[in-house]
Amino acid sequence: MSQLTFETINTTVLNTLTRPGKIYWGIIALLFAGVVLGASCWAYQIFMGVGVAGMNTPVHWGTYLINFVFWVGIAHSGTLISAILFLFRAGWRNPIARAAETMTVFAVCIAGLFPFIHLGRVWLVFYMLPIPNQRTLWPNFQSPLIFDVIAISTYLTVSSLFWYTGLIPDLAIIRDRSQGMRKKIFTILSLGWSGKTGQWLNYTRGYMLFAGLATPLVISVHSVVSWDFALSVIPGWHTTIFAPYFVAGAIHSGLAMVLTLSIPLRKIFKYEPLITMDVLESIAKTIVFTGIIVGFSYGTEVFISWYSQNIIEMETFRWRAFGHYAPEYWIMVICNTIIPLLFLIKRFRTRTIWLFVISIFVNIGMWFERFVIIAGSVAHDFLPNAWGHYRPTLIEGGIMLGAFCLFFFLFLLFVKHLPSVSMTEMKEMIHKTE
Amino acid sequence: MSTDAIIITGLFKTQKETLTAIEKIQANGWEVTEVHSPIPSQDIARALDRKKSRVGWFTLTGGIIGFVSGFALAVFTATRWNLIVSGKPILSWIPFFVIAFECTILFAVLGNVLGILTQVGLPDPDYEKNYSAACSGELYGIEVASPPADVDSLKDLLHLTGSLNQLRKTK
Repeated sequence: MSQLTFETINTTVLNTLTRPGKIYWGIIALLFAGVVLGASCWAYQIFMGVGVAGMNTPVHWGTYLINFVFWVGIAHSGTLISAILFLFRAGWRNPIARAAETMTVFAVCIAGLFPFIHLGRVWLVFYMLPIPNQRTLWPNFQSPLIFDVIAISTYLTVSSLFWYTGLIPDLAIIRDRSQGMRKKIFTILSLGWSGKTGQWLNYTRGYMLFAGLATPLVISVHSVVSWDFALSVIPGWHTTIFAPYFVAGAIHSGLAMVLTLSIPLRKIFKYEPLITMDVLESIAKTIVFTGIIVGFSYGTEVFISWYSQNIIEMETFRWRAFGHYAPEYWIMVICNTIIPLLFLIKRFRTRTIWLFVISIFVNIGMWFERFVIIAGSVAHDFLPNAWGHYRPTLIEGGIMLGAFCLFFFLFLLFVKHLPSVSMTEMKEMIHKTE
Repeated sequence: MSTDAIIITGLFKTQKETLTAIEKIQANGWEVTEVHSPIPSQDIARALDRKKSRVGWFTLTGGIIGFVSGFALAVFTATRWNLIVSGKPILSWIPFFVIAFECTILFAVLGNVLGILTQVGLPDPDYEKNYSAACSGELYGIEVASPPADVDSLKDLLHLTGSLNQLRKTK
């Protein structure tokens, strides 16, 4: 870090914004094809009806809501890194904060699509919004589903504004080093930022307030998502630990996704001097911490069901571990709590290949966690005659693939057109260490 | 300072050099009108005697409006038909608090953005006036206003304080 100067930071980051090559456009085209596939599957579902998905009685909530919770979870770590670690003055966040914030914005957008897809008749989505109408019909604000509409739309607005505000000084750097049309675009985007003392004074105060507001918001949003489940009476859902359990899980999955994105980014764009091994190691250590919380939550759920001696709850958790979805349950346990413990060994958290592989395992584990919670609980609730199974169809698979492609498509567009590391925050960091 | 004053911008490499230069320029009776820097600096703000930011008031106002609006929306909509749903009271304060909380954050953030834009002075179409592109990269620029007759002595002073380059513009 000591050999970094303001100039080398600018050069390193601005070099990533050069004209992309054929390989880049090839990958973009491939991802776009995935997006088109997902959109086509959705269009087919709209045309044929939501019955083309595998949802049934009793499993009315399938991969669409599993993916919704998964992507909201991914989004949360971005705000953790950009806001919470900012307030704690954790210097290691600076090189990855921009990528994490961007991940947040795209992940929330994708998460927000899934309730639309799940709705089936998507043209009726306005029923969820408080729009004045002749019949004076309004959303029921006592319902956690409507809490969610308000929370997610607030989160999308706040994270987008937070992301853009953080970009402004960096956009001015690009503006000052561009010509022609590019200069015109960045002049508009940077809003005429010129780094005056008064500008910085108000900007830093505003940014700190942003972080202060985003912190309770991020915790509230995933708590609200957890109440979609916890405020029902379904065994396996109706529990008070869901809010902290979901928040910890969200951070766990989000940190893993940050690693998944940062490692190739670091390698391809030669960001090694900025995103150092210490930074990746710090993320790995945090993943151990969140993994332990998640593991503790899994144990607590089982303990609560045993301690309550409620036979329905006990049967739900027995069935989770040894029933129809036992493979999914054990994938969840192993990927989320056992495999991240490898990061306790220094060799695993200081080699990029291990960091990358383990982060993929955590991503897979966290997707299965949502599967086990959502599909597993409704498939096996109170009455044996109402039990059933759920298996996603190809249409759901196509939409899910499309969502992943859309995420990486947007992220790849971002890294070649906007600074993927915050030059200003990096400069602040080295200034403080000087 | 008269309107025909000349603005000279001295460019400096580090914050430390910039602070020393500001001190010397002010001690010699010149007026430092602005400093452009690549990173925020509380020390420079103190040296220029800048007032505390008022962005927080915008944020607070937004937050209060949001809290009241959130509750008002939930109460208003619940009382249109007075239907009891799931056995909950018509005015269920605890669920309504969730709506009020989210609206508090939303409006506080919108207030914050408004505060940043108005207090920072964005968008600024005249940003290029007395501005050096180097200041968004690695250098600090001190703008000093001078009567036309004293420009040369100001330039000498800036040179003595370690200025790398000097840009001359009319105010």
